[in-house]
Amino acid sequence: MKIFSDMTALMTGMWITWKHIFRRPVTIQYPEQRRQPYPRYRARIVLTRDPEGGERCVACQLCSAACPVDCISMQPAEGDGGRRYAEWFRINFARCIFCGLCAEACPTLAIQMTPDYEICTRDIMNLIYEKEDLLIDGCGKSADYNFYRHAGIAVTQPRGNGAEELPPVDVRGLMP
Amino acid sequence: MPKLIIDDITVEVAEGTTLLEAAQSVDIPIPHFCWHPALGRAGACRVCAVKLLDGPVKGIQMSCMLPAQEGMVVSTTDPEAVAMRRHVIEWLMINHPHDCPVCDEGGECQLQDYTIAGGHGIRRYSGKKRTHVNQYLGPYIEHEMNRCIQCYRCVRYYQEYAGGTDFGVMGSAGRVYFGRFQEGQLESPFSGNLVDICPTGVFTDKTARFRARYWDYDMAPSVCPGCSLGCNTTPVARYRELLKTVARRNDAVNGWFICDRGRFANSAVNAPLRPRHAVVDSRESCVEDALDTLLLRIHALGELHGPGSIAVVGSSRMAQEAAELLPQLALRIAAGALCYRTTRKESTETSSFVELVHTGSSASQQDVRKSDCIVVYGCDPLNEAPMMAMAIRQAWRSGATVYVIEHKITLPCEFTLRATLDDVPLAEAERPVIICNLSAETDQLDKLLEGHSRLKIAPLFPAANSFGTALLMREHGAISLEEALADGEIKGIISIEADIPAALLGKIPFVAALDWQATATVQAAQIVIPTTAWVEMNGSYINYEGRAQHFSKVMNPGVPVKGLDPAGHPPHIHRSTATGGEALPARQLLARLIKLLDDGNRGLS
Repeated sequence: MKIFSDMTALMTGMWITWKHIFRRPVTIQYPEQRRQPYPRYRARIVLTRDPEGGERCVACQLCSAACPVDCISMQPAEGDGGRRYAEWFRINFARCIFCGLCAEACPTLAIQMTPDYEICTRDIMNLIYEKEDLLIDGCGKSADYNFYRHAGIAVTQPRGNGAEELPPVDVRGLMP
Repeated sequence: MPKLIIDDITVEVAEGTTLLEAAQSVDIPIPHFCWHPALGRAGACRVCAVKLLDGPVKGIQMSCMLPAQEGMVVSTTDPEAVAMRRHVIEWLMINHPHDCPVCDEGGECQLQDYTIAGGHGIRRYSGKKRTHVNQYLGPYIEHEMNRCIQCYRCVRYYQEYAGGTDFGVMGSAGRVYFGRFQEGQLESPFSGNLVDICPTGVFTDKTARFRARYWDYDMAPSVCPGCSLGCNTTPVARYRELLKTVARRNDAVNGWFICDRGRFANSAVNAPLRPRHAVVDSRESCVEDALDTLLLRIHALGELHGPGSIAVVGSSRMAQEAAELLPQLALRIAAGALCYRTTRKESTETSSFVELVHTGSSASQQDVRKSDCIVVYGCDPLNEAPMMAMAIRQAWRSGATVYVIEHKITLPCEFTLRATLDDVPLAEAERPVIICNLSAETDQLDKLLEGHSRLKIAPLFPAANSFGTALLMREHGAISLEEALADGEIKGIISIEADIPAALLGKIPFVAALDWQATATVQAAQIVIPTTAWVEMNGSYINYEGRAQHFSKVMNPGVPVKGLDPAGHPPHIHRSTATGGEALPARQLLARLIKLLDDGNRGLS
């Protein structure tokens, strides 16, 4: 009987409506009330530092390559002791879609997403973040990781003193 | 002609072809590190393993080492072969550092590609990595020995192909080291090719260190403007800065390599002093105004000194397209002289050589490489056109005799000194080639060419487009600037990418210069209009043998982003053209001038 099934559907819908009338509202009175997002929430991007305080970013350009909206640009340069770093590093948050592919691509864990979602501004030019706006004084997630300790090149330690390295070979040695 | 089957495809190849090349001929790629078309095989890397299912040889074999034989049945996809290649990659990676993010080769690295292709992602070996101490190899090449996978390409190239003696291989077993015995700049004038030939990041271009990644490069096929050989290159730019130049393969011209002079010659394009804006009487102007002023001055000069008081001066370094327009401009303004050369000597010499070789008797670099008797006559290839010396060495390596006619030079091969051309047994040779420069006597060469039908000549011209402009000189009866200025009639010079000596400029009241380099002519000119460098436009050069070669636009003209803003990053400004990006190719400027002249004349009459 069609009329019974129709009425069942009507009653089910009304039942759900009535049920929610007596529930506590989920709306938060933003900005008086603020919700703390989960730690892995993907919002404003930061550049972190390694445990020794050096910039983690080596300007390898993997984040800019991974970025689907091309909002990251940078210029690598050579610093003291052959350290590769970003001469300038720019994220255009007006274009960023907070997909997190940059953070996923980053081999040095430099670029990380934070739960800070409040970056709206009236002037769109203020959404272009340069390196000084992005770089924080902390390690962020994976606090004890330093890329240069494992990279196999001598920047933070002499050659052959890295985490998984033997001392340099004596090329002129005659021992077998 | 052995006939074999590779992955169910029947292939017929020439005798002596390796399995790897046979597979490549039917577009089956086999990974390889040590094998290189220019260097041949070494069997050092073991990554080109294939499985032979049937035929004279069976089992897992190195495809680069095994000549193709009749009846072979080869599988590149057999599970055993795939596993072998995967394991080879894994053990090559045992000692390779995890520094791809800070390696300049990252993104254009053969090892990276094959590691990913082989499926090796997670390191299973828990032992420690061997390390090496790097060497300082001069200002052009960066050395990072930890990345080495012992394919021996560098040392085979440097010692065998290029004839260098100061770089080699040391040590044994897992400690093999590729470098110099002592630190110092690499002596070979072809050392830059180590960067191209290394399949990983042991040798990288120091001049482009930490500048950009492969996927961001602005690249286009181009031609080297360094000398008249016209070697094929791929210049690489990023953010309006010319970063580096890599060799582009052209078997008829340069083969796989280029010389260091052509490779490390980016500074002129990035020079801060380059003219970027039009200048009229030391005041910055725009191109339109400068062209208008130029026309007014030409008109005024004509009224003051009568017709024929202006010389249109081109040069042998300008692109052919612009050079072709000079006669038209000269005709429109009733110029007193059309010049492509400054000195009388150079003018007559290039003209006579164009007469000599345009008959089809010119030798390409490939002809030189395949020659069996080479005569170096009165020139110094290593300094005038280094890749020609490289070609001579390749001929010598395949058994050619090299004669040098009474001249104190060095060559990267053994040679025999002879007093005159007549002492060389040209008649006995199958494919003789004479290499000379413009100082040679064309009459004598002409007689030799008549006497020996197989003889070819490679005359080394001084600049990239000497040949092309010389053709135009002959066609339009152009004279040298020296001759044009002799009678004192010329009162104004329009210089288009010409290097005019100060002595000739001194007496001229009016000079206009169209150039992309800050030459002495540009300094002296009242009107300067910037043109584009060869990497910033399309064009063509005609090389010493009469081969016209096109080069494409690599990057947009403009001041490099680097150093544009004192804050250290690009400015926060939206604009449609780059700072200093108003430069136009000389051919476009000339075409505009000609159009303005035509329109003006039409308006007057």
